[in-house]
Amino acid sequence: MSAATTKPLLAVGAGIAGITTALEAAEAGREVVLVEREPAIGGRVLRNHHYFPKLCPPSCGMEINTGRLIRNPRIRLMTATQVARAARTAGGWTVTLVRAPQYVNERCTFCGECSKVCPAKVKDAFNLGATEVPAIRPYHAQAYPQRYVLDRAACPTGCTACAAACSYGAIDLDARETQETLDAGAVVLATGWKPYPLDGLPELGGGRLADVIANVSMERMVAPAGPTGGKILRPSDGAVPKKVAFVQCAGSRDVNHLPYCSAVCCLASLKQAIYVREQLPETEVKIFYIDRRAPGRNEALLTRVAAMEGVRLVKGKVGKIEKGPGGSLSLRVEDVESGTLLAETADLVVLATGMVPQLGADAQSFGIRRDDDGFGLNDAAARVFVAGVARRPEDVASSVRDATGTAAKAIIAAGR
Amino acid sequence: MVMVAALEIRPSDGTRAALRAAGATYAARCYQCGTCSSVCELVTRDFTFPRRQMMLAQWGLGGSLARDPAVWLCHACSDCSTRCPRDAKPADVMQAARAVAVEGFAVPRLMGRIVSRAGATWPLLLGVPIASWALLVGLATGFAVAPHEVFAYERLVPHSLIYAVFFPVAAYVSLVGWISGRRFWSSLAGGERRRGAFLSALVPTLVDIILHRRFATCTTARSRRQGHLWLVLGFLGAAVTSGLLILAIYLMRAEMPLGLGHPFKLLGNLSAVFLAVGGWVLLRDRLAKRRHVGTTTAFDSFFLGVVVLVIATGIVVEAARFALDPRVAGWLYIVHLGAVMCLFLTTPYSKFAHILYRTLAMAHERMVASGRSVASRSETLDGSLAHPTH
Amino acid sequence: MEKMGVFLCTGCEIAEAVDVAGFEALCGENGAQRYATHPCLCSAEGLSAIRAAVEGGEIDGVLIAACSPRAKATEFAFDRTKVAVERVDLREQVAWSHEHGHEDTQMLAEDQLRMGLARLKRVKLVTPLVETIARTVLTVGGGRTGMQAALAAADLGSPVLLVETGTRLGGYLADVRYLVPERPPYDRIVPNDIREMAARVQAHPGITVHLSTGVERIDGQPGQFEVALRGPGGATTVKVGAIIQATGAAPYDAARLAGLGYGVSPNVITTLELEKMLNEGALQRPSDGKRPDRVAFVQCAGSRDEGHLPYCSSECCATSMKLAAAIHRDHGDVECAIVYRDLRAPGQLERFYKAVQEQPGSLFTRGVVTGVSGNGTGPLTLTVRESLLGDEVKLHADLVVLATGMVPRSADGEAIRAYVDAKRRAEHGDSEKVRKDAAALAEKLKDHAGTEILNLSYRQGPDLPVLQHGFPDSHYICFPYETRRTGIYAAGAVHSPMDAAQATEDAWGAAMKAVQCLAANSRGEAVHPRSGDLSIATFALQRCTQCKRCTEECPFGTINEDAKGTPEYNPLRCRRCGICLGACPERIISFPEYSIDAVASMIKAVEVPDADDEKPRILAFMCENDALPALEEAARRRLTWNAWMRIIPARCLGAVNTVWVADSLSTGFDGVLLLGCQKGDDYQCHYVKGSELAARRMSNVQETLDRLALEAERLQVVEVARDDWAKIPTIFAEFAKNIEDVGPNPYKGF
Repeated sequence: MSAATTKPLLAVGAGIAGITTALEAAEAGREVVLVEREPAIGGRVLRNHHYFPKLCPPSCGMEINTGRLIRNPRIRLMTATQVARAARTAGGWTVTLVRAPQYVNERCTFCGECSKVCPAKVKDAFNLGATEVPAIRPYHAQAYPQRYVLDRAACPTGCTACAAACSYGAIDLDARETQETLDAGAVVLATGWKPYPLDGLPELGGGRLADVIANVSMERMVAPAGPTGGKILRPSDGAVPKKVAFVQCAGSRDVNHLPYCSAVCCLASLKQAIYVREQLPETEVKIFYIDRRAPGRNEALLTRVAAMEGVRLVKGKVGKIEKGPGGSLSLRVEDVESGTLLAETADLVVLATGMVPQLGADAQSFGIRRDDDGFGLNDAAARVFVAGVARRPEDVASSVRDATGTAAKAIIAAGR
Repeated sequence: MVMVAALEIRPSDGTRAALRAAGATYAARCYQCGTCSSVCELVTRDFTFPRRQMMLAQWGLGGSLARDPAVWLCHACSDCSTRCPRDAKPADVMQAARAVAVEGFAVPRLMGRIVSRAGATWPLLLGVPIASWALLVGLATGFAVAPHEVFAYERLVPHSLIYAVFFPVAAYVSLVGWISGRRFWSSLAGGERRRGAFLSALVPTLVDIILHRRFATCTTARSRRQGHLWLVLGFLGAAVTSGLLILAIYLMRAEMPLGLGHPFKLLGNLSAVFLAVGGWVLLRDRLAKRRHVGTTTAFDSFFLGVVVLVIATGIVVEAARFALDPRVAGWLYIVHLGAVMCLFLTTPYSKFAHILYRTLAMAHERMVASGRSVASRSETLDGSLAHPTH
Repeated sequence: MEKMGVFLCTGCEIAEAVDVAGFEALCGENGAQRYATHPCLCSAEGLSAIRAAVEGGEIDGVLIAACSPRAKATEFAFDRTKVAVERVDLREQVAWSHEHGHEDTQMLAEDQLRMGLARLKRVKLVTPLVETIARTVLTVGGGRTGMQAALAAADLGSPVLLVETGTRLGGYLADVRYLVPERPPYDRIVPNDIREMAARVQAHPGITVHLSTGVERIDGQPGQFEVALRGPGGATTVKVGAIIQATGAAPYDAARLAGLGYGVSPNVITTLELEKMLNEGALQRPSDGKRPDRVAFVQCAGSRDEGHLPYCSSECCATSMKLAAAIHRDHGDVECAIVYRDLRAPGQLERFYKAVQEQPGSLFTRGVVTGVSGNGTGPLTLTVRESLLGDEVKLHADLVVLATGMVPRSADGEAIRAYVDAKRRAEHGDSEKVRKDAAALAEKLKDHAGTEILNLSYRQGPDLPVLQHGFPDSHYICFPYETRRTGIYAAGAVHSPMDAAQATEDAWGAAMKAVQCLAANSRGEAVHPRSGDLSIATFALQRCTQCKRCTEECPFGTINEDAKGTPEYNPLRCRRCGICLGACPERIISFPEYSIDAVASMIKAVEVPDADDEKPRILAFMCENDALPALEEAARRRLTWNAWMRIIPARCLGAVNTVWVADSLSTGFDGVLLLGCQKGDDYQCHYVKGSELAARRMSNVQETLDRLALEAERLQVVEVARDDWAKIPTIFAEFAKNIEDVGPNPYKGF
């Protein structure tokens, strides 16, 4: 595969799937352009505290992948970049990439002087908006590229405090959006997923009750860098929950919401049950499920959690969640095994919300076909492939396998 | 959970087919998550439905369904169907289970079968009563009405004739109802042990039913509850009026027809208004195919049709006396009487029978509610449709 | 290197934290020929200053005293074959984490420079390996996974050699009529297209298929494997570059499921037996050939069961539903009851589950089948506990189908080696006890005898090492293709429990990795995780004592032994982790940029104050993959830590040689700390065994400490993860406290 004679591959999305596709193709000798909408790579996985079933930090694998990325001369990474247009050509695709204004450029040394003087506060996108941070800040502490980001819209008119504070000329408040055109031999869309919206589940208190949170928020809450510095607290009053309930299939396997199974929620909740028990040994955990879906070696995680003292798995889908006595929440659910109606109370409810494929304008410009659930389909003839959760609900392990194979498919389609 | 001896499961294709035919079209989709039970406002801690009944329906365990009081405690408010993640429509399945049970307990079975297949048999069910009234009237008065007089239907159809027909009919209905009720009651007894006296359970139950207390808890189908309430009160009014008329005619020797201002007349008309409103509300919901309505089977349509026909002809007939040619009015009256007779005769086999079974099931539930153990609710699981005789 | 130049950055608070005035002299004393400072070394001007010096030939070694090596990595990247580069961290490890202007901070910065220069002096230029690489990929196994891998590798441009021990292609799918849906609308079974696939493989110009052929022996290393095959045409030897093992899985032995009636009644069969029956167009009770009215599927037969297979076989739920659908399609209204513990139909298979439920005759219940009774031709009775129809119910069926799980068709290379060694010791062991224990061990391992598949001539055993339950895997979440034998990749059901769709994707991935490995080989580069590393190890064999530690401890089986036990290094198998370097008591193994000498001299370069200065010194070896990046994150968050610490990055804790510990204690360090990844079953060590080996080696050192009358507390190994940045300063503080309590190192000043 002589890279010189062939066009580069374009990988859209630098989450675990996109990074993997890019790295595997590049390490095989292929030129790759990796574009990411956010200012830093890592996507959803870096927002997770731990991976199941090993309960190891995603930052560990990401550290290695970042190193591979830095060392590899064949990968060009473009963050804060999106696909504006794409046109089929005989040899692949001509793609117009739009890069958001680089108010903080590559000169940035991560020294932090700008943050100290920034008067504006914004919601922290990395913590899913759960905290406030200066408008100019590191996207997160492990962010790569290691560079501060500025939410320009939040700047008070005429404020140039950060630019003045920067001794490296890294801040250009007048930076403009830039465009460039790229000829790609093949395209891999690894645009990932978004959580099913909480307020789509009002009957379960989603968006209505402060102490009903999504599993993705739980991941941030237990992360040392999260909004509570890793403490599991009830959002409404910051109290330590004595009872935590996990509601499975919140929006998944449900014709009124997502008709498919999101494939990871059971394991995510089992993992989070361990978070709770390890941090709060006094706290009771209940997991309400339809089927305990722990395929392959993940079964060991189910066995482990099921055997844990203070954890109970109950077969039954929660139908209603309302305010309960003393600031608690009350759940209506049938214990299917005993056929009794339980009126459960909990201080904190975690909805195991499912994954919705994220194939936005980026993906649409390649005219990819989608299945009835909105997941993208490979189209070798059109030289467009989909990897990771944008293609199918799956866990990180299968995403990585899938993304590695997709690199091969893209290389073949692009022609050697 | 209490241990019980190993039950034998005897699934039945026939039952599954019967339930499907009766409207349980999507039962197979259910994956037993229990959302339905948890959103149902009628379930109590130890007595949940319809999740379990969905399972019985999937496996075609009709015998167990027929014995299951839960089938009758469901008021088809459709909260479950609205929230079911698989769109398995539990409310329809319960409705179908009731229809199948009504047929199963019917005496004689033939009548039950005929009425349950009203989709095909309705011309017979409606035609025979109307025709026989036409015949009777023909024999009694030969349609001889003098045009000049202020017209009273009594001249065409003597009260004596009406009572001569309807008293036996009512007697038949009560007898058949009694037998079916007995069978149902004893089959319920196969479930949990009842405590206390029947009457002391019956009275509060009747109050519940008349005031639609359970219905009130439903959130999805408020309008249906209203229509249903109007209708029941209307029929009660009509029944009372009919009774009072007998007093009026034979004891008070009142001049027939009663003047419009007469209290009995007022009551009758008021009932008519109630019936009209109720009928309209239910009909509107069906026609508008409101989600909570669920699948409408021929059985449902026939019943509703007859009810509407009775109400409509009743009102028209009353007006016709003043407005139309006595002959035309006379024929309308005959149709009305036929419809009423059809309604009477099909009562033990149609949705009217719900009043009987639901009342008994609710009374039964009151008597067992205390000290129930969950497991004891299912001792045999068979698919046979034959009504269980103990 | 001889001509060393120091380029010191004064930006990012470095100049505020320490007084750089004396640094030029200090660097001079430590052998630097050239010294320059810049307010922002990573700026264009700063960088061009460095390049000018390098290209001008003034220097052959660059010391960049600025930020962490993980910051501005692209800016400070140089061609290591032309110039040696060492980065000294004065920002994260000094300015951002220690009190500005304090004398301890100043001493720390100075030691950092001394250590950097000491190391740079001993770093050598990298000379890349140039080898001729065979581009052929060998695929072992001709099932769907093997065929897909072959097609993918061939389409990627590598000639493919596919060997299959059986007489036909297709594996178990050759006996299967329908497949579980793998694409929209996901709601119906699809005809099995395995024959078309086999035809594509046979017709592909890049693929050579050898049926009825087994692998007799594999010698050599990636890019240069010598594979001896034995087939109908006799024995042949071929050169291949990389290997894909797609040997699939066997159904769990149903004979062990007598409790479920298998072997007791002829009418209890397995899903695979039903697949074959339906493929022949029949559906009948083996006992009398009658068509069954009701078929009952028993899920998790042998899976999810500590007594049998502890894992979930992943595909059985979908397979049983597929068979129920096939029966419905081809044999009409037969009732199919499926008794499951949890119905596992992930993703879009939920649509398939729903569709099968809606088939007339489908009966599903959750439950655990505790027994199947009845024999001969009469109907069978299943006893089902915890069913949704009652706590214990009985169900009749004419045919019972056990959804038996999958057992990987793999061989545990390490176990086989252990068995062979034990046998040898049992005969030639020098003491009676040794012989007895060895015999016992051999007995325990005897099932592994004769299970060889790849027959690798690797010192550590003839097949891939397994992780759990016989699946040859390692970092299965982040790096599923990082097998422990470079250039050999497992794919499909042998890799980990997965369904057919996943197995096919896995085949694509394995093919990608195989071809990628050959590309890396021809560039002389290491593969994952140090991909792109051009350096290789060198062995000073004249000093080797044949202790075999390196050959035994390399996690990747890189090193073979000759008859005398002298190591034979296979650079193309090597991952450059340095674990062999850490193992060698004779210090004969080194890498150009990471050697015993280089690190030892860093230790000696530290100026250890006298005991009465009450400034203890603690040396921390930190794993550069997780522990050190975590510490730097702590610095970025402006956490501070004890200024007594002196930190030396290690490629892996396994690459820490005990001699360094001895050196540091003899040069007066008061304590030595090793921070690395989690070991054990859920190891996080990127080199699999590094942290485990480190822990073992250090516990041995602790014994020697006792003998030297040194307190064992002076040496500690602590496990940290990449996200433990908040804990590390505390770990330092606690260790420092202990050292203070223990008192100064008595060997100080010797």
